[in-house]
Parts: sequence; structure tokens; C-alpha cells
Amino acid sequence: MIEFEGLIKRFGDRTVLKGLSLKIQTGEIIFILGTSGTGKSVLLKTLVGLLRADGGRVTIDGVDVTHLSEEEYLPIRRRCGMVFQHPALFDSLSIAENVAFGLMKHERKTLEEAMPRVRECLAMVGLGAESNENLETKLPTQVSYGMQKRVSLARTVAVGPNILLFDEPTTGLDPVTTKQINHLIRDLAIKLKTTAVVVSHDMDCALEIADRIVVLDKGEIVEQGTVAEILKSKHPLVIDFLVEAKARGVEA
Amino acid sequence: MKILAEIGGCISFCRQAFDVFLRKGVSRREVFHQIWRVTIQSLPTTAMAGFFVGAIMTVQFAMQVEAYGALGYLGGLSTSATIRQVGPLLIAFMLSGKVGAFTAAELGTMRVTEQIDAIRCLGANPFQELILPRMIAIIVSSFALLTAGLLMSVFGGVLLASLFANINPDEYLRHVPTIVKFPSIATGIFKCLVFAVVLAAICTYKGYTASGGARGVGRAVVDTAVATMVSLVIADWTTSLIAEAVMNVAIAMSGGIG
Repeated sequence: MIEFEGLIKRFGDRTVLKGLSLKIQTGEIIFILGTSGTGKSVLLKTLVGLLRADGGRVTIDGVDVTHLSEEEYLPIRRRCGMVFQHPALFDSLSIAENVAFGLMKHERKTLEEAMPRVRECLAMVGLGAESNENLETKLPTQVSYGMQKRVSLARTVAVGPNILLFDEPTTGLDPVTTKQINHLIRDLAIKLKTTAVVVSHDMDCALEIADRIVVLDKGEIVEQGTVAEILKSKHPLVIDFLVEAKARGVEA
Repeated sequence: MKILAEIGGCISFCRQAFDVFLRKGVSRREVFHQIWRVTIQSLPTTAMAGFFVGAIMTVQFAMQVEAYGALGYLGGLSTSATIRQVGPLLIAFMLSGKVGAFTAAELGTMRVTEQIDAIRCLGANPFQELILPRMIAIIVSSFALLTAGLLMSVFGGVLLASLFANINPDEYLRHVPTIVKFPSIATGIFKCLVFAVVLAAICTYKGYTASGGARGVGRAVVDTAVATMVSLVIADWTTSLIAEAVMNVAIAMSGGIG
């Protein structure tokens, strides 16, 4: 279980997270929804130590990870695979080297040793060798943005995390690829039996795959519940999100 | 205040890099790759600039020494001035324009597209993977480029002296060993090292700390250009003072001129 207790994060004079508390159960697919600048990504980055909290506590399975050193975070980062808003693939490395990167660093494997796992993970995200010839040797810039997102996902699952963190996974994608990525997130979370925390401002996406939705506004939780509960919410921000989702022609 | 904070940030950044270097080392493969890239990237412009610097120095000195009937010393004086002063500064400016801006833009883009965060999440250290190889490459390449630039400047000097002052290459080079002695070479090497460290620190720091999307990367590149130019001039002045002081002490102790 992941637990945030009274989490505070400031950037200069601006307090982004204002004593946020949240519990995420093991195996849950949770969506953290909110408008831009409400601290959604900050929350994820605080969990894996990419940003340090200014107050409060973060625990994973009861272990306090708030003030670990960069070295001490390594096992935590192995358990918590993060998929970033950008594909964040390394331009100078091939697709195979990108997917193998975590295995080479965390497990000290050579590229050759990592290749069976690389192929398995690429197949898992729909990029199997049978339908994508020579993909492994291509550079990230030689494949589409949607493919880069999938490769990024493959790279994250390659090290076998039991918590998957997605930061705006469908930003910049067309509606068809967005739908595919959403299903992929749900399928992977179920298949790999992982907890999935998805940060987004996309209500369609949340209604489609979330077990629970948490709505964040100005660094505080303003609403949370299952999809059914969220659909009945009277909170103005939630209503705005639902209206906007309906306007895009997606009924819950 | 902002400048002081930036200087403090850069020093702390270098200390962190040094600490990682001592504790974890650095990927040799990546260092060689970066050295090759930096050297190849800057070699043509450095060689060309070196050639013209040698030519300019020769023309300038020719006018001065001719009045004293000392044209025979032209090669020695021109080469000494290039090694001690113009060469290292020229190399640093060339590297700043090409490699400094490139490195800041590259690291800045990696920062804003979250590649650096991804490296951390995948169990690697960005200092070990990105910063140290680039820092070491800039420092090592500076010496290779200084050598190439100096050889080209001597060639430029020889050519100009032969074409415009009627001095044949043998005559031009005869007094080079007499005037260019160890202190001149040591000063050039010392300056080259200091300039390379300054450039490596600033461009990697500005790139690594870039924020705010494409605009932030652009700002990092401009800041790198401005900060390195100013820092290099200050470093040139400081190293000249230090070199002169050391040389004076050495002359006093040996009783000779180097």
C-alpha cells in the first residue's frame, strides 16, 4: 500500500501540495485527475524521490521513503516503474538498448543477456517482432510518437515493477492511440498484478479504466470515489470534467 | 544576488560531479565517444582559426621587430605569444561556441523531456552517464585542439612570413626553441586546463538545470554563451597574473629568462 500523509511541496513561494493525504491499495488502478498545475505530477515524482517533500510523509508498504538518499531510492525506483509525459527515450540508443537500459543498470545485465526480456516486453506492448521488423535496431526518432510511448512503457515494465506510475500517458496522442494506450495500461496492470497510479486531466480515460478516481484542485483532494460515485458527484470541478467529457461524445 | 546563487549552484554541481567520479567512476566507453565527438566537431574551425591567428600574429610582430632589425626572432615571438595567450583563449572561445552551446542544448532538452528523470528512475546516475563523460571530454579535447590549433598557427605564421616578409621557414623557426621554453608551454597548458574546466562546468550546469520547455532550453544556451565568455575573460586575466607571478619566482630562483 502507498500512503501520502500530510504531504507538502513548495516551489519558492508557491505551495503546490498543501498537506495532501491519500491511501492507495495494492493492486488498485487509481486515477489522479485535475487541471494543469494542481500538483498531480509533483505527487508522483515525490513518490519516487525525483522531487523531495517539504513536509509530511510518503510510505510504501509501511516503509517511510520520504527522506531517502539517491542511493537508497534505487530499490524503490525499481519497484515503482514510471512512465513519463514525454516518451523520454534516449535518442542516441536504439529501441532495444532503451528497453534494456533499466536491466543493464539495475541488474548489471549485458544487452545480449537482456534481449529475451526486451523482446518479451516489446511484445507485451504490441510491438512484437512479427509485426514490427527491425524495430529493435531503430532509433527512437525513426518511429512514431505513439510507438515511442509504447516503447517507453516496455522499458518501464522490463525491470518488473510492482507499482506502475503514469504521468499524463496519453498527452499528445490521437484518439485512437489514446484508447489503445488506455487499454494497454489496464491490461498490463491486471496481467502483471501491479498497482497503477495514473495522473491525467482526461476524464474519458479515467472513466474507462480506473478503479478509483481522486480529483485534485490547488494541491488538495476535493473529491474521490469509484467511477459510479464520481458520476454522481456534485463538486463543480468534477461536473466541469464530466461535462467536458460528454461534450467530446464519450458517455460513461 | 542571482549571480551569486548561480555561482554557488555551479560550484555545488561540480562538487557533486567530482564526488560521483570518486565513488562510482565513469563509463570509459562514453568518455571516448564524447572525446571523439567534441574533437571532430571542433577540429576544422579550430585549425582554421589557428592558421589565421598565426598569420595575424606574424604580420603584427613583423611590423614591430623589423624596426629593430630583429626579423629573425619573428617566429619565436609569434609562437610564444600564441602558446601563452591567444591559443588557449581562442580554443576556449571556439569550444564555447560549438561544444558549450551544443552540450547545454543537449542536456537542457534531456532535462525538459524528462530523459534525465528517466535515467534516475531506471537505476542510473545522470552524473555518471551524462555529465562526467561530457566534462572529461571537453577537458581532454581542449588539449588535442590546442595542439592542432598551435601547429596550424605555426604553419600560418611560416606561410605569411615567407610570402610577405621574405623570411624562409628555416629562419622563421630557428629561434622558436630559444624563445618558446618550458614556462611558455606550461602557461599555455595551465590556461587551457583552467578554461576547459570553466567551460565544462558552466555548459553542463546550465544544461542540467534548464527548465520551462523549449524556451528554457533556449535560455540555457544563451546563458551558457554569456557566462562562458565573461568567465573566460576573467579566467584569462587571473591565470595570466598567476603565471606571471610563478614565472617571476622561477626567474628569480634560476637567474635566467624562460
